[in-house]
Amino acid sequence: MIRIWLAGLVRRRAGRLGVAAAGVAVAVALLASLGAFLASSQASMTARAVRDVTVDWQVQVQPGADPAAVLDTVRAAAGTTQAVPVGFGQADGLTATTGATTQNTGAAVVLGLPYSYRATFPGELRTLAGTDQGVLVAQQTAANLGVAPGGTITVNLRGGAATSLRVDGVVDLPAANSLFQTVGAPPGSQPNAPPDNVVLLPEARWQDLFAPLASGAAAADGVHTQIHAARSHALPADPASAFVAESGQARNLEAQTAGAAVVGDNLGAALDAARSDAAYAQVLFVFLGLPGAVLAGLLTVAVAAAGADRRRREQALARTRGVTTTQVLWLAALEAGLVGLLGAAGGLAAAALVGWSAFGAVRFGATPVAAVGWTAGAALVGLLVAAAAILAPAYRDVRSATVAASRRTAPDARSRDRSPWWARYGIDVLLLAGGGLIVWSTTGTGYQLVLAPEGVPTISVSYWAFAGPALLWVGAGLLIRCLVETTLRRRRLVGRVVGPVAGRLASTAAAMMARGRRPLARSVVLLGLALAFAVSTATFNATYAAQAEADAQLTNGADVTVTQSPGVRVGPEAAPPLAAVPGVRAVEPLQHRFAYIGKDLQDLYGVRPDTITGVTALQDSYFQGGSARSLMATLTTAPDSILVSAETVKDYQLLPGDVVNLRLQDSTTKQLVTVPFHYAGIVTEFPTAPKDSFFVANASYVAAKTGNNAVGAFLVDTGGGDVTTVAAQIQARLGASATVTDIAHTRSRVGSSLTAVDLAGLTAVELGFALVLAAAAGGLVLFLGLAERRRTFAITTALGATRRQMRGLVTAEAAVLTVGGLVAGASVGWLLSQVLVAVLTGVFDPPPASATVPWAYLGIAVAVTLGGLGIATVGALRPGRRAPVALLREL
Amino acid sequence: MHRGQDADLDLVICDGASRTFLRGTVRVPAVRPTSCTVVPGMRVALTGPSGSGKSTLLHLLAGLETPTAGTVSWPGLGGPPQGRPGVVGLVFQGPSLVPALDVVENVTLPLLLAGADAVDAVSWAHEALDRLDIGGLARKLPEEISGGQAQRVAIARVLASAPRLILADEPTGQLDHATGERVLTVLLETADELDAALVVTTHDEQVARRLALRWRMADGVLATEEIS
Ligand SMILES: Nc1ncnc2c1ncn2[C@@H]1O[C@H](COP(=O)(O)OP(=O)(O)OP(=O)(O)O)[C@@H](O)[C@H]1O
Ligand SMILES: [Mg+2]
Repeated sequence: MIRIWLAGLVRRRAGRLGVAAAGVAVAVALLASLGAFLASSQASMTARAVRDVTVDWQVQVQPGADPAAVLDTVRAAAGTTQAVPVGFGQADGLTATTGATTQNTGAAVVLGLPYSYRATFPGELRTLAGTDQGVLVAQQTAANLGVAPGGTITVNLRGGAATSLRVDGVVDLPAANSLFQTVGAPPGSQPNAPPDNVVLLPEARWQDLFAPLASGAAAADGVHTQIHAARSHALPADPASAFVAESGQARNLEAQTAGAAVVGDNLGAALDAARSDAAYAQVLFVFLGLPGAVLAGLLTVAVAAAGADRRRREQALARTRGVTTTQVLWLAALEAGLVGLLGAAGGLAAAALVGWSAFGAVRFGATPVAAVGWTAGAALVGLLVAAAAILAPAYRDVRSATVAASRRTAPDARSRDRSPWWARYGIDVLLLAGGGLIVWSTTGTGYQLVLAPEGVPTISVSYWAFAGPALLWVGAGLLIRCLVETTLRRRRLVGRVVGPVAGRLASTAAAMMARGRRPLARSVVLLGLALAFAVSTATFNATYAAQAEADAQLTNGADVTVTQSPGVRVGPEAAPPLAAVPGVRAVEPLQHRFAYIGKDLQDLYGVRPDTITGVTALQDSYFQGGSARSLMATLTTAPDSILVSAETVKDYQLLPGDVVNLRLQDSTTKQLVTVPFHYAGIVTEFPTAPKDSFFVANASYVAAKTGNNAVGAFLVDTGGGDVTTVAAQIQARLGASATVTDIAHTRSRVGSSLTAVDLAGLTAVELGFALVLAAAAGGLVLFLGLAERRRTFAITTALGATRRQMRGLVTAEAAVLTVGGLVAGASVGWLLSQVLVAVLTGVFDPPPASATVPWAYLGIAVAVTLGGLGIATVGALRPGRRAPVALLREL
Repeated sequence: MHRGQDADLDLVICDGASRTFLRGTVRVPAVRPTSCTVVPGMRVALTGPSGSGKSTLLHLLAGLETPTAGTVSWPGLGGPPQGRPGVVGLVFQGPSLVPALDVVENVTLPLLLAGADAVDAVSWAHEALDRLDIGGLARKLPEEISGGQAQRVAIARVLASAPRLILADEPTGQLDHATGERVLTVLLETADELDAALVVTTHDEQVARRLALRWRMADGVLATEEIS
């Protein structure tokens, strides 16, 4: 019997089965694609974290231990590819005489590097001038001493001995922070800044200077050896597992050496940071993807529900012919299983295709276990959706329906005029209020969504924060339904609204909609939520992209940034030649100095406040105490104004207008002169500036007070043109006198922060699904709703309605759905966008000033929805090939 | 009431009209080539075994089916009745009420389609319902009334729009004898008042006898009876 029934099902209801299976497939595909996104983003986060580590391990040999033994142990440790010893020594100061003047520095660090060091750890040193090997001096040290390659410096060792050295090169230490970390110290007690003065010597020269000291009492004074190791980067793809594996190795080494070595695990630290980013990616998935999958499920249920009347009649018929209720349920279960399996298979295939085209790999999870989990989970969701769509209503019918009741097609007479229970108790409003409250409390208190305490293997994600948006989704859906039903019940109003399309039949149309308000309201909810999904996802994605761009601009300064090499001194007059390079729209000089405030040395940026915004975007969120525009205006009108960091304001108890005295180097005397400024506001971020404290002041005021208009960097705006070509042309023109960086390069390198994760794949997948959902919610639901109404239309046609009148009736309903759906979608979408951006503010550093609205995409989404609605309307109106009486016989 | 139609012309003329259905690949000749004429004031009982083609013939007369061969014309009605609500009134054999509309709304629907004023339409509808003793059902939904009641609502719907040709497909099929008699009386009275022609299909001899003429159908072939 089952075979006969199945065959009949496939033959007669192939369309409906197919549509339900397609709905299931969309839900499954969305989930599995998100799994693929997670897999690829986590793998890329691991790769990125690993790539940015210059030295994987800095193993500090403890006082009294044998460096050679530790070196052997490190080399023998599993996963070590290279290991070399590095000597760390302290000097009381450095001295250099240039011309008539002699410069002295404070304490300096002297490193001893083996010859192979630069080849093994290419990221650690960057030669700015002179040769790659020999006696190397750090850039700032060279600037402080006024020496260049060929010059001579004197190293004043502890205990009085002094050695003169000929400088071979000047280098930059890009990873100075981790190079000079205090190995073994907790993250909180690391030094704030690397040492100001650094000299790097070949291993043998260093041994000559420090070997006598290393064994003596001076050992405690900081003469020690570190083993720098490069580790294998074949790590688990998921940052959390990679971290656990990697930090386990480090602890294992410490245990093996029995206290002779402490591992400074830079690789582990980087993975540690990537771990929380990975957790954020997961959070993003839940926030962005889950509503879409739920929507696809609801859509499937709605599609199945549109055929419910017919199925109910069939079941009633089957039961009058002696089929038992158990058998009816079995048949429904079979149908659900068929739809679920077909849908799951189709969805997984679609996701594989999507993953392959968007992420370049077909993997649904970062690890094999996760992949199996995602695949099984997505398929299970498909089966559950099918069960909810087909089995659940069948079960409900069997329980409640008698054969006689099955001829009822409209809502039960008794419940006809009553609102659903949740509306009567105001549950929808309560949910919205609760959601709002949670969002407010989670965002208002600088609340952390993802907590990954450094060094601790567990990550805690605050799932509580999900409750806010989740309640908002549900509450909004229920409220829309309630509002639509209430409105549709007011027939006179609806009649007047649809009057223009329905003409004399307006009251008939209103009556039809009032009686059929349940399914119509459900359609409006589905369309509204699908559009809200599209709006909120697209807005979030656009905001995210805009912020990633702002981040890259902040780091790079502008589209292209020209940084002068040390010792090269040019003034603002070098700007016009740069502006003449093809593709350059504008050039803005940016001074970079060091200024003392009390004993602190901070970066100072001198800007031309009236033109700086022409080349780089200054966001209001970079400043406090005024907007970007108003603070730049202050710098223009009161040139001695200064913007300082919040920390400085706190340390020096500054109030607006207070005098801030900075000491800056005078260009002629080379002495520090005191320059008075007036505190005007707080700056937290500035293009090219470091993350910690710095100053922003008016460039002409700084130049006048120090007799020096030297420019540190030129910010170049290409007006959106090809930055790489422009950068190459400028570099060719300037040669070694400057470093040219472009934003395209920076964009791909900005830290390991989540903004660096390429959301492009996820964005494409999500936006695509959002379009599919919106079109389906609009078109399919309307079409099936109208198809349900075929009997009504056949009768109306048989009674003599003209085509225009039929068009009026159908269009009235389509119009109500369209207007309701668009209004609901726009308002809920707007609300959810704000919430998403607010709740996920932690992703952004600095947070975005406002949400970016992707109008073009939203236009497409609306067009696709209207297209779907239009096709459904036209399809429903298409003149049947059969006479209405023939239809009447069947329906 | 009657718009621009000549009262003396024949209402419907079937000239060798036939209707054949395709069921899969099998051709089912529901109505074989038939010629007949319905003139104003005619009272016809159309009888015949089940499946003999009675309903199909009524649909041809109403212009709801197109003849496979031959022609059907409506000289007395000013042309084909499709898209002209209220010109021909057909009481369907099966359920034919719009489920989402209540009884009054169902009855007013063809009036509104014909462009009548909404207030007038409602009062005519009530009048028709009262004549059929179902005025009390005015605000009920089709699902809330019995099959026989629904059939009477369908009759009221035809009467309210005052057509010149009333075609009733087994209007008494679901009614008890007394009610059936009453409904037929209403149909005949209304046809008299409107000066309309009335064609009723029925299996009931007593019903058939109350109509002046008898047309018999058997296997798609119509045997008409001339006015005596
Ligand atoms: N739309 C259709 N498609 C296919 N066959 C049809 C269709 N309409 C009617 N028929 C067939 O045409 C024949 C005549 O049907 P019709 O409904 O006219 O009979 P009837 O005389 O009205 O019967 P009853 O007294 O049972 O109402 C029947 O065999 C029927 O199956
Ligand atoms: Mg019949």
